[in-house]
Amino acid sequence: MGKTRTTSGEGRERQRLPARRFRTTSPAALRADSVDGGSLLAPLLGLTDQAFSDCPDLADGAMEKMSRVTTALGGSVLTGRTMHCHLDAPANAISVCRDAAQVVVAGRSIFKIYAIEEEQFVEKLNLRVGRKPSLNLSCADVVWHQMDENLLATAATNGVVVTWNLGRPSRNKQDQLFTEHKRTVNKVCFHPTEAHVLLSGSQDGFMKCFDLRRKDSVSTFSGEATEAGPREWAMAGWVPVLPVLSCRILRLHHSFAHGPMQDAESTANDARESWGCPLYPLGLCSGPQAGQSESVRDVQFSIRDYFTFASTFENGNVQLWDIRRPDRCERMFTAHNGPVFCCDWHPEDRGWLATGGRDKMVKVWDMTTHRAKEMHCVQTIASVARVKWRPECRHHLATCSMMVDHNIYVWDVRRPFVPAAMFEEHRDVTTGIAWRHPHDPSFLLSGSKDSSLCQHLFRDASQPVERANPEGLCYGLFGDLAFAAKESLVAAESGRKPYTGDRRHPIFFKRKLDPAEPFAGLASSALSVFETEPGGGGMRWFVDTAERYALAGRPLAELCDHNAKVARELGRNQVAQTWTMLRIIYCSPGLVPTANLNHSVGKGGSCGLPLMNSFNLKDMAPGLGSETRLDRSKGDARSDTVLLDSSATLITNEDNEETEGSDVPADYLLGDVEGEEDELYLLDPEHAHPEDPECVLPQEAFPLRHEIVDTPPGPEHLQDKADSPHVSGSEADVASLAPVDSSFSLLSVSHALYDSRLPPDFFGVLVRDMLHFYAEQGDVQMAVSVLIVLGERVRKDIDEQTQEHWYTSYIDLLQRFRLWNVSNEVVKLSTSRAVSCLNQASTTLHVNCSHCKRPMSSRGWVCDRCHRCASMCAVCHHVVKGLFVWCQGCSHGGHLQHIMKWLEGSSHCPAGCGHLCEYS
Amino acid sequence: MIHDAQMDYYGTRLATCSSDRSVKIFDVRNGGQILIADLRGHEGPVWQVAWAHPMYGNILASCSYDRKVIIWREENGTWEKSHEHAGHDSSVNSVCWAPHDYGLILACGSSDGAISLLTYTGEGQWEVKKINNAHTIGCNAVSWAPAVVPGSLIDQPSGQKPNYIKRFASGGCDNLIKLWKEEEDGQWKEEQKLEAHSDWVRDVAWAPSIGLPTSTIASCSQDGRVFIWTCDDASSNTWSPKLLHKFNDVVWHVSWSITANILAVSGGDNKVTLWKESVDGQWVCISDVNKGQGSVSASVTEGQQNEQ
Repeated sequence: MGKTRTTSGEGRERQRLPARRFRTTSPAALRADSVDGGSLLAPLLGLTDQAFSDCPDLADGAMEKMSRVTTALGGSVLTGRTMHCHLDAPANAISVCRDAAQVVVAGRSIFKIYAIEEEQFVEKLNLRVGRKPSLNLSCADVVWHQMDENLLATAATNGVVVTWNLGRPSRNKQDQLFTEHKRTVNKVCFHPTEAHVLLSGSQDGFMKCFDLRRKDSVSTFSGEATEAGPREWAMAGWVPVLPVLSCRILRLHHSFAHGPMQDAESTANDARESWGCPLYPLGLCSGPQAGQSESVRDVQFSIRDYFTFASTFENGNVQLWDIRRPDRCERMFTAHNGPVFCCDWHPEDRGWLATGGRDKMVKVWDMTTHRAKEMHCVQTIASVARVKWRPECRHHLATCSMMVDHNIYVWDVRRPFVPAAMFEEHRDVTTGIAWRHPHDPSFLLSGSKDSSLCQHLFRDASQPVERANPEGLCYGLFGDLAFAAKESLVAAESGRKPYTGDRRHPIFFKRKLDPAEPFAGLASSALSVFETEPGGGGMRWFVDTAERYALAGRPLAELCDHNAKVARELGRNQVAQTWTMLRIIYCSPGLVPTANLNHSVGKGGSCGLPLMNSFNLKDMAPGLGSETRLDRSKGDARSDTVLLDSSATLITNEDNEETEGSDVPADYLLGDVEGEEDELYLLDPEHAHPEDPECVLPQEAFPLRHEIVDTPPGPEHLQDKADSPHVSGSEADVASLAPVDSSFSLLSVSHALYDSRLPPDFFGVLVRDMLHFYAEQGDVQMAVSVLIVLGERVRKDIDEQTQEHWYTSYIDLLQRFRLWNVSNEVVKLSTSRAVSCLNQASTTLHVNCSHCKRPMSSRGWVCDRCHRCASMCAVCHHVVKGLFVWCQGCSHGGHLQHIMKWLEGSSHCPAGCGHLCEYS
Repeated sequence: MIHDAQMDYYGTRLATCSSDRSVKIFDVRNGGQILIADLRGHEGPVWQVAWAHPMYGNILASCSYDRKVIIWREENGTWEKSHEHAGHDSSVNSVCWAPHDYGLILACGSSDGAISLLTYTGEGQWEVKKINNAHTIGCNAVSWAPAVVPGSLIDQPSGQKPNYIKRFASGGCDNLIKLWKEEEDGQWKEEQKLEAHSDWVRDVAWAPSIGLPTSTIASCSQDGRVFIWTCDDASSNTWSPKLLHKFNDVVWHVSWSITANILAVSGGDNKVTLWKESVDGQWVCISDVNKGQGSVSASVTEGQQNEQ
């Protein structure tokens, strides 16, 4: 069994590669070629023939120069399932036998061979023998020879490199022991084709090449590049080597700084050695090499280039060596920011090297070019401890991380952010990964610190890429759609007309993630915003309607007509019809008084309002506070003052019409508009009179009739103001500010008045259904508008909760469209308390003292700091809590009414400063 | 690759998030597109973004494969990371802000099966509640119910904070849609399990309750089906599904229009379709937005305009 290729049924995810071409070169030719290459390996090369005979089916690891065996995966099928077995101890590394049926697991206190069977792992051999396990058995790395099934090498944390021969008859399979490294050996690597060449890389900064037939290393490579003088410097900013001593100290720091990243033991080694050994000249401790260098984290023989190997260092460098030239590296470049923990040569693409570092990146380099060129960069979420290209999948590689993350990821290097597959079996850091067979992309083996050994099936992996949402969709406020979609999908439909030229979505952009990225075709998106048709305008109708509708402040018939007109102009014929019908229903000539009454009700009992307001403006509006009472009590005491006061109010009102256009004029609206209406709609000219008794009602509470008399004066200005929603809104302001009870009493009275004249509630049901219909259609605007305009007429037919719901929905909508004014108006006009109190909920007034300019912290009107009353009225010497009018010349001022009254009689400042104040 | 695009409350800005770890904000007023900010902070693909209600300022939440949720805040024109939530064990797939009435609450659904709720408690502090095992295998989407107050608002004394019932829906890899409700003790409890899909639920969208008496949820799934769930009777809390359509490919997103009468559906075939309920209660496709072919077609605008 063993060298098998999975059948097509196995692993649907498997990529199909075109039939591979194999170049056959005779061994003789190869030898000649190699001998030419250099003298150092000459003794080794003598064994090439033997190597070939030993390994007839050397698989993908073969160099290009070698003949390859096409039958590598022929015959039976590699089968298995996702499974795991418990080890006795945490694993540090694993390696697979070339027969793909055995795996060796090595760790600090484990060194075992397991057979990979169909359903399970079976322990086959424990290589940890002897009563007293030596430190030599504490393995940092293990590698199984890819040609000789009996040959293994381990790297010990104490710096020893051990080879093992499974063919030995004795229990102890230990073969050779190389004790040349001073510190932990991080990595051992067999030459892919030379049976006897072993390479090691150590924490001490050296790499050594061993010939297994000799007792010592053949050559030593120093990571330090002092005398290397490479032919080309890949990285310009390389720092010259520091003197020995400082370099050593630096490294000490280094090892501490990276402590957590390293194997605990190696850190201990570092420390022990660094402190234990005095800083004697390094030439003594490092044998043949002078100089000190960075710790080596990984060494890998090139699969394609016979003499080449790559090494990675803790300082972020990667070096490329020719094994015949230990004096200097061929090339060096900084690959990562921080330690480079691993590297792996691409099994097929010559010169592609993947490196992984603590900077959480995996980079793929093309080493064939003059300078190492970064081809791809994959960003992972944790430091990369191991990287292994996936067989048969040109762009895939597997990684595991050094800490935090326990998962194993398979990445498509062209898709650098989302892993193609993810294996989540391990509960602790994964320390070793290996593809089971060099031609099979489905089986991955892994060992972990959680003391388990796993076989993962690619088929069973979770595939984050598949889970990733390739599309974004959002309904915009104005009915436009934002839609981001995968570019490749777009490309697939490229037969269609490019949408950028389409007239129907004038806005927006087509954007590639980053056209420069090599994976642009694989995973980039186009983002476009589709607008609804020009003219249609999406939600534009909503905004226009909201802005233009008249909701109050005019008689019902006029409101209906106006709104119908607005709707018609916006092309909303059904809505226009509805308005017209409403007008017919509620404003037919026979029902005129009703209409009128309703109108007034719709405005919140506006008949009584002029009165209320005059009272209100002066006293209530500012604070509903004590001053009202104060004034009133004053009024009681001196009735003439009250009279004066109220007449002043009236003057104010009239003045305001011309000047400020504030709340006040609205009060007159009713009368004026009614007058206007008479002419316009030929309604009963007497309609106003029946209501007079109503208007009288509040007078009991406040004995004034001046308004009635005064009302007529201003029809001229008022008509133009009636159009502004502001005006009508202000009425409701009164309704909400004034004591609610009194306005309600007004309402109920008026209700009773017109009720008798209403036709049967025939229309009520109809209108209710109509409103529900609109609401369900999503046009809550219509529902609310009709509700407001019709007021009491329909309110009773619709339950309060629904009304409230409509109101709040509509207000929400208005606010989203930033139609604050309209929203405010709606709030004011709403009859529901819960809604109308919205207006009072979120307004905060910050008051500063007028003398010391500090914020008034306490609740009273006396400043804490300067102990003075803020803003005194120059006339009445009371605190002004509401509108404060002041002279810009002398800065004295007071209650609006008081000042105005004062200035009528005198042109001097009421404070007595002598300034000639002018009220404009 | 862009995974999500969201317009802000006023429809003036568009936030997108992408595999390349970036979150970008564009100004899309007047048909332009100006990159305002490029937010870097995630260490993995960013799956989703969500705008908070503007009454809390300009706040954007993003969730990522790196297991983190980041809340970004604009302060004087510059966007900065304001909070980072790293309480999940796996990729966070979905974020959604609660209706603004509740305060700043963010629901996050993760591949670790949990849903976490972040509540802003003031002074930069966020309180975390976590619903473990909300969905086995993973949660793909969360969507809040619009703010609804039990009973009438009328009895509420003004000024007092109404007692809202908070609800949200989630969809997950267990093919289920679950409805969650906050109990009086502040704990979240599974209220309802909606079962109809035969594969992973990809997105759920609770319709805004603009003028609608019923609660409506749209859900879409890996199985290509889109369901509209309605609950007519709030007291019995029974939900009935109606199949909107069976697509041939995965359906990734459902999105309601602002007035909740049109549903936009985007599927694996790279098409967006718009659906509207007709008078007889059937959902009909009123438009195709196709990459190659264009836009929201005339029928939509007609539909909206004439209120047919």
